[in-house]
Amino acid sequence: MSEAKKPSKLKRSLFTIFFMFAVTLVFIAVLSLIYVLTQDTIRLNESLVVKRAVLYVAGLEVPQTGTAADALYRERVVEVKDEEQEVLYYEILAPSGEQLRSYVVPVVGAGLWGEIESVVGVEEDLKTLTGIEFIKQNETPGLGGRITESWFKEQFRGKRWPLSVVPEGDPAGDQEFQAITGATNTTNAVRSILNERLARAEEAIQAPE
Amino acid sequence: MKSYKFRQVIKENAGINNPVFVQILGICSTLAVTNVLKNTVVMCAGLVFVTGLSNLTVSILRKYIPGRIRMMVETLIIAAYVIIVDVVLKAFIPDISRQLGPYVGLIITNCIIMGRAEAFALSNPPALSLVDGLSSGLGYAYVLLIIAFLRELLGSGSIWGFRVLGDWWINWNIMIMAPGAFFMLALFIWVVKGNFMKEKQGGGASGAPRTNAAGSSPQAAPAGGKS
Repeated sequence: MSEAKKPSKLKRSLFTIFFMFAVTLVFIAVLSLIYVLTQDTIRLNESLVVKRAVLYVAGLEVPQTGTAADALYRERVVEVKDEEQEVLYYEILAPSGEQLRSYVVPVVGAGLWGEIESVVGVEEDLKTLTGIEFIKQNETPGLGGRITESWFKEQFRGKRWPLSVVPEGDPAGDQEFQAITGATNTTNAVRSILNERLARAEEAIQAPE
Repeated sequence: MKSYKFRQVIKENAGINNPVFVQILGICSTLAVTNVLKNTVVMCAGLVFVTGLSNLTVSILRKYIPGRIRMMVETLIIAAYVIIVDVVLKAFIPDISRQLGPYVGLIITNCIIMGRAEAFALSNPPALSLVDGLSSGLGYAYVLLIIAFLRELLGSGSIWGFRVLGDWWINWNIMIMAPGAFFMLALFIWVVKGNFMKEKQGGGASGAPRTNAAGSSPQAAPAGGKS
């Protein structure tokens, strides 16, 4: 009985569009508000991820709490930036003071599915690796995603680039690292961006002198 | 009468209509996040939040949502809640958020949520829909928690990150990989269906698991006209 007069087709279409528009507007407003409220915290968290990674690859013990990690980072790490305020590389200082101990280089490149973002520590000779940590990666979970497992990362300590790959489980030499079975593309991507970016970083670090 | 309905909904979602082991929904995340108990708890909390509130919201709006665009509206609502969960996790527990990676965002594709919105919230009042959403989320959660508990125990010898099995224990690596979840889930379904659901299956209800309070099928809902 309530259907006595049906609204016209045009009216219904307009209502449909208006409804979608209104609902979208409301939800976007709510989301924007939440985003604005949490943005600072998220940024802080993200910067801490990078700071912890830098400390880890430099071979330093990373403190549990955020504030302690931040303090250690301020004490031991100097960021060297280019004109656009992008970090070129990090200088790691010896605990006693000003003396330079090693470098950490941001290494970014294409993985299999998306960009792999990592930091790599190198000693003063710019050849020997002190560690690697992956900050962002979208590799296949369970296969390429295993690059974040500690056995994979730890094996890089003490290695010298240019690096090549041996099968998983095989003994790896001074300039080799173990691949991940089932993740050939990811492994090769890691190898090539490491070699390429470290070569570039070597140039950049040596250039000013 | 009313509380009977509520109880009925909860009972169905926990048991004979459980989203995971009866409807086999949400399996993607069941496989992906159950290797460590801590991640599973966070994931489940997120999912319960999203199923509950999206059901509630869809139910409140159900009389106004034009039939033709109801899916768009539902997706929008679900997506909004998922983004809220994602942002909150990133801000307050960043480590777990990083470990869960894309799976928090993928809550949006969890069939349980869309399924409950379509099959239940569109045709039931808000309070009942909220309870339905929460209870189907919890029905999903307890299955995942059991699986995660066993996988972490067998795969890493630990629970909640604490080592509970001694050094004599050799970790079953397969358990922390995705295939381990397949085995665990299959065993779980086998045990549950074999031991607890025999009569129900025999009673002829097996062919029609969805007999909810309102029971309207998604196609029968508004689809074409709004008569």
